Amino acid sequence: MTSDIASPIDTSLIDIVKVTKTYPPDIMALDDVSMSVGHGEMVFLTGVSGAGKTTLLKLLCFLERPTMGLIEMNKKDISKLSGHDLQKMRQHIGVAYQDFRLLPKQTVYQNIALAMEVRYETPKDIKQRVLELLANLGLADKIHTPTGKLSRGEQQRVSIARACANKPPLILADEPTGNLDPAATALVMNLLKRLNEDGTTIIIATHDQSIYQKSDHRLINLENGKLQEIIKVNFDL
Amino acid sequence: MSYISFIFGQLVRNSRHGWTSQVMTLFTVSLSVLIFSFFFLIYINMQKASSRLGNELRLIVYLEQEVPEAFRQEFKKKITDFDKVDKIVFISREEAFERLTKQLGRDSDVLEDLDPSFLPYSVEIFPSSNLKSLTRIKDFSDYLVSLPGAVKVQYGQDWIERFGYFISLLRIIVILSGALLILTSVFMVSYTIRLTLESRQEELEILRFLGATDRYIRGPVIVEGFLLGLFGACSGLLSLFFLFQWIKNHFSGPAFMNLFELSFLPLANSATIFLISLLLCSSGSLISIRKYLKV
Repeated sequence: MTSDIASPIDTSLIDIVKVTKTYPPDIMALDDVSMSVGHGEMVFLTGVSGAGKTTLLKLLCFLERPTMGLIEMNKKDISKLSGHDLQKMRQHIGVAYQDFRLLPKQTVYQNIALAMEVRYETPKDIKQRVLELLANLGLADKIHTPTGKLSRGEQQRVSIARACANKPPLILADEPTGNLDPAATALVMNLLKRLNEDGTTIIIATHDQSIYQKSDHRLINLENGKLQEIIKVNFDL
Repeated sequence: MSYISFIFGQLVRNSRHGWTSQVMTLFTVSLSVLIFSFFFLIYINMQKASSRLGNELRLIVYLEQEVPEAFRQEFKKKITDFDKVDKIVFISREEAFERLTKQLGRDSDVLEDLDPSFLPYSVEIFPSSNLKSLTRIKDFSDYLVSLPGAVKVQYGQDWIERFGYFISLLRIIVILSGALLILTSVFMVSYTIRLTLESRQEELEILRFLGATDRYIRGPVIVEGFLLGLFGACSGLLSLFFLFQWIKNHFSGPAFMNLFELSFLPLANSATIFLISLLLCSSGSLISIRKYLKV
């Protein structure tokens, strides 16, 4: 069965067409998945562990290539992009990884600034943006702390801050609230919501029902690598 | 942020991680440049000395009897058949006696009762002077002694042969020290860059996820190799200059200066050594980038 979930928004940012991803020897992570995500949409990707959420996000940020199928970003087939174009495109995607991928010896400031430095932003702009993000995420007092000395919840927020630093048009967040208490979860979700209101497309892979239960946004469920159903569609765009 | 300020910021960051290996590499490159350019400097000065000695070189062919005026052109042609010469002078017994008297100076009275006939007739040959002729002078001398009427050839054989061997030995040392320069520059820089890349492996991986371009990642690494070459070559050549000045001031008395007029490397040679060092060090960093940095 091919599951196909189209975006309710006419102009899609992401189009995934019949995508399959298998890992050796024969582990099917994604099976014939088709879906699209519109510009400025916020989508929750749900499913149990091993359902294929992280794999789908990895495909969207070009960390993995699909075994079969087509992924288009802004109507461009990403498999046909050159190395340089892919690098440039990655600069426009903010990713908050499940395992954070922070540099433990570098400070909170340095870790977040790195995302802006690859785009040659000025030190002044970098400082201003980092301070703003840290204030929003309740980490202002940790600015000079090496990330290796932070709690997992704090590290998770640094990872989210880095993903948001460039105000990218697309943010992919893998379990962004997995290690957070309710107060910190609210801070993170408020930040993501504000960015979404400003036009950023956001895809959140999560188990955490609390963050999507009261949400009006689209919910896509993955089960054993297949898109199952749209559990809730309640758009208010 | 401009690309240049980013590069230098990154270089400062890299040097915080691996300054010890950078200093060691800088020292090794400097030392290699110093060793090579030192021998090259000696070689160049020796070549100059040999060229000057070549100008003064002459071969004297002693003859059984005087070559008659009518046969002198033919004799000259036989000489020039072997090698180009600047000048050929036939010397009679009387002229030889006169020269000897001059050479003896105040002691010339020992010749008072002697007849010039005890001296042999001779021909003085001034060959075209260059190092190549110096090394071929022995063959030329063997040829001259085989000419009809020639008894003996004199040109300071031992000294010239030793000088020729010394220059050949120097040439080998220059080539070997050049090879040393190539090996140390390329391998040491390559090794240092590798250490830098290994120490930043985790960061580089994250940079890739963040969309850092090839230019962003490779730029500082290439510049690091280039700068190691730049500072290594500069300090090597500066050390040579100070060493040269010290040798000149301490070891060059008037007698020594007459024999060897010491001069520093010409600007073109210094610039070539400098550029080659830059090229070698940059190549070293490129080798490491290709091998260890997959962007």
